[in-house]
Amino acid sequence: MTAGAAAAATRRIIVTATGNPWRGDDAVGILVLRALADRLPKGAAVLFDGGCDVPSLVDAWAGFDTAICVDACASTGTPGRIRRIDLATQALPHGGNKGSSHAIGLAEAIAITRALSQAAPRVIVYAVEGAGFDLGAPVTEPVAAAAARVTECILAEVAALRSGA
Amino acid sequence: MDCLARVEGEGALELRVADGRLESAELRIFEPPRFFEAFLRGRDYLETPDIVARICGICPIAYQMSAVHAIENAFGASVDGPLRALRRLVYCGEWIESHALHVVMLHAPDFLGFHDVVGLAQEYPDRVRDALALKKTGNAIIRLLGGREVHPVNVRPGGFYRVPDRADLEPLVPQLETARERAAGLVRWVATFPFPDMERDYEFVALRHPHEYPFNEGRLASNRGLDIDVSEYESEFEERQVPHSTALHSMLKRRGAYLTGPMARYALNFDRLPPAIQALAEEAGLAPVCRNPFKSIVVRATEIAYACEEALRIISGYAAPDMPAVPVTPRAATGFGCTEAPRGICWHRYDFDANGGIRTARIVPPTAQNQPSIEADLAAVAAGLVDEPDEVIRARCEQAIRNYDPCISCATHFLRLKVEHH
Repeated sequence: MTAGAAAAATRRIIVTATGNPWRGDDAVGILVLRALADRLPKGAAVLFDGGCDVPSLVDAWAGFDTAICVDACASTGTPGRIRRIDLATQALPHGGNKGSSHAIGLAEAIAITRALSQAAPRVIVYAVEGAGFDLGAPVTEPVAAAAARVTECILAEVAALRSGA
Repeated sequence: MDCLARVEGEGALELRVADGRLESAELRIFEPPRFFEAFLRGRDYLETPDIVARICGICPIAYQMSAVHAIENAFGASVDGPLRALRRLVYCGEWIESHALHVVMLHAPDFLGFHDVVGLAQEYPDRVRDALALKKTGNAIIRLLGGREVHPVNVRPGGFYRVPDRADLEPLVPQLETARERAAGLVRWVATFPFPDMERDYEFVALRHPHEYPFNEGRLASNRGLDIDVSEYESEFEERQVPHSTALHSMLKRRGAYLTGPMARYALNFDRLPPAIQALAEEAGLAPVCRNPFKSIVVRATEIAYACEEALRIISGYAAPDMPAVPVTPRAATGFGCTEAPRGICWHRYDFDANGGIRTARIVPPTAQNQPSIEADLAAVAAGLVDEPDEVIRARCEQAIRNYDPCISCATHFLRLKVEHH
């Protein structure tokens, strides 16, 4: 085994989700985590459900080499559309959450970890466009389908990270 | 594009300005408890804590505590001794984590000219680390006593499903001792902020207890003579429909708007604070009553210090109870519960059938109760800024709204500002 492959095999990976499971498509991240729990090889990655407690991610990410984050995002007209944002090469907009008096968003949490010098070296975000976020509403069909696709993407992503590909 | 904003349009402020004067300020905030009131109908009383915990992701304990107290009130059960102490302890955890999040990560940036906490973290990383550490301490208490931090599962009518041994609590002690020091540092730091010069003559409403700074128990009191049992809430308070909002406005029937939350608790219960916390408040420039809403951040930080102190006191005297819960036998009855959520009194009423099935539920969260006060504050704030650009008005109004830390059910977009000039 080469040094690179050995390093890849011991890479610490965390997959995190945030969202309120009772608010429609906001549950997409949690759906993905549940699916991954059944399918990820043992020890391949740590799964962390941040729920509505986004600041908890700041500590959760500490010590990991790669953080893969799943979250719903506001619709721009294509519910279920998946955006993969690799922060090594792409910027993640933040500041849209400025008005909230009660919570911070995922983008802010990532920015905070970087400001505190405790960010994972590699951060990948899977953002799924939601259609509806009403209290008590179920996940919409396009987003449920997207959750399944994101699960497959993350399984492949983790396997690639572990193999050093 | 706000790529990762989850929910849009759940808060809006409309200001009407005519001839250089503010004519009106109307605030709209979505009310999640209404959905839960309907959802609870037909459910068994044992399901209530699990359901109401989901009303708010930041303060689930508050909703659970108000619910179980209401259930026990209806069924004639009483929780005392170590179980009562554990309830205060888990509430300490919630105040610590909720207040720390709010003080540093949401409100402090406003006072220091930062757009958000990201900017604050670059200039004051140690303060943000303090807040995260405090939050972690609060969450550790909730995890231990609630079973998990998010949507706690260990709270039940009569007590808990499982209670800790003394040895389970001991590891929290060094964490809380450090948290107490961090909290004191936080109080001293926020006390140095530049505060807008503003005071209003509020009617403060909070629980008042014969012996302690209130969490779970007490009579409903105010600085204008209110002194009632929580079961009499509906005789003194009412909710009024206002045309500009789907959220109902809570009012005192005889006197209108009131304020609940840290400033109200502090004003009505300063004498219940331990001497060390009173001294800390005084050192921070707080009198026993604070009427400047922008200084609520100092009061909130003081309550973090108090919660750390109280948690240590509870743990030092703790001995595990014989049973995790007292017996609770359902009957056809109505029950009332009111506890002090981080942002104010949270009042519940349930009507049960003979089997403990919920016939009706009424939940009045602190945010709904503060809405009229928030609007009045905004009117006072905006009145002096009508000639300023909208962005200046928005920033100061958001800062003013954050004095109350209103619960908007974890929505991300909060404030849409519309200023009409005539």
